[in-house]
Amino acid sequence: MADPAILPEFFALLSVDIFLLLSLLTCLLDDRLPKAVPYIYQIAALIGFGHLLVSKDFLLIFGDYMRFWYNFFLLIVALANIVAVNVYLAVEKKLWALAKAWAGAVTFPVTVISVFFVSNYSFLQGAEFPLLLLQIGLVVSAIVMGVSISLFLSPDLLSKFRRRKEVTQWK
Amino acid sequence: MEVKKLFLRKEFKLLTLLLISMLIASASAAVYYSLNMTSTITTATNDVYFIIGADASTAGVSIFNNNKSATLTSLKAYANMTMSYDNPIRVRNNNAGTSFNVRLRPVSRTGNAQYFVFINFTLQTSTKISLNYTSNGATWTDPSTTGWATVSPSTDYAIVVQTKANATAPSGQTASIEIAIDVQQ
Repeated sequence: MADPAILPEFFALLSVDIFLLLSLLTCLLDDRLPKAVPYIYQIAALIGFGHLLVSKDFLLIFGDYMRFWYNFFLLIVALANIVAVNVYLAVEKKLWALAKAWAGAVTFPVTVISVFFVSNYSFLQGAEFPLLLLQIGLVVSAIVMGVSISLFLSPDLLSKFRRRKEVTQWK
Repeated sequence: MEVKKLFLRKEFKLLTLLLISMLIASASAAVYYSLNMTSTITTATNDVYFIIGADASTAGVSIFNNNKSATLTSLKAYANMTMSYDNPIRVRNNNAGTSFNVRLRPVSRTGNAQYFVFINFTLQTSTKISLNYTSNGATWTDPSTTGWATVSPSTDYAIVVQTKANATAPSGQTASIEIAIDVQQ
């Protein structure tokens, strides 16, 4: 098997950077988002850093396969938070212009970068799992988890969305 | 009051978060870099090992541990006569394309010095290297580690063993010598 150019822990590093990015962006948008959100993302980044630090001592215990999945999960959580903020801005705050800008400037590029690195990793590892399935799975997982986080934080989000749909139908 | 206002200002919060973010990002990158530097070690088969020589049965050669260890249990030392085993065991470089440097290193020795004159081990590489254990009848003089000699690809070399016992040595006296061959990769 060829030596992978990137280690599975790269996804944890990517997640930390995504959380830091989210922290700074949500700080810039603090009048539209809860005040605590930037600090929560800083804590999430710190948790990711701690995870990286601890996993250093467990490289030999966990195989490549296990290491990939727990780091990949962290990446999915980070991506889901990007989608969650996007959904929150669009549905809860009804800031369509901002939501579209967020989708174009943050959600889409970060997802593409993540898919690129995951594809690169899986290609160098000899693609133990179907490549297309993984990429689609990554995007779907991030979207589903993002929507779920939004619904979890604002349970009335779904009813608001339904109401808007009904209004649109009546028009 | 002014200080409190300063802390609540968006610029201050952003600057604080930015500094902490830079710290976390650099620390994480450093940890990842240190992970990347972790060596991966793969087990491999040795290229240089022992093989049986033509005089193996006379010298009582046994090879074990995947040809990495050998014992020569039937070597004789005759009184006032030099006994030479020209080809009891050989050192082979099984790599088809790479030469290696080898050397002989003394490990341990037991046996009464008064019964022996010398026991020599010589590796027959183009530059011969030897371990010569000599006795003056009272004490042994142990050799030091030899210099490096080259073993060519797909070639094997004999280790010649020469022994000589003291003129007055009775039969049945034993000496036990352990030597090692270091291979430089």
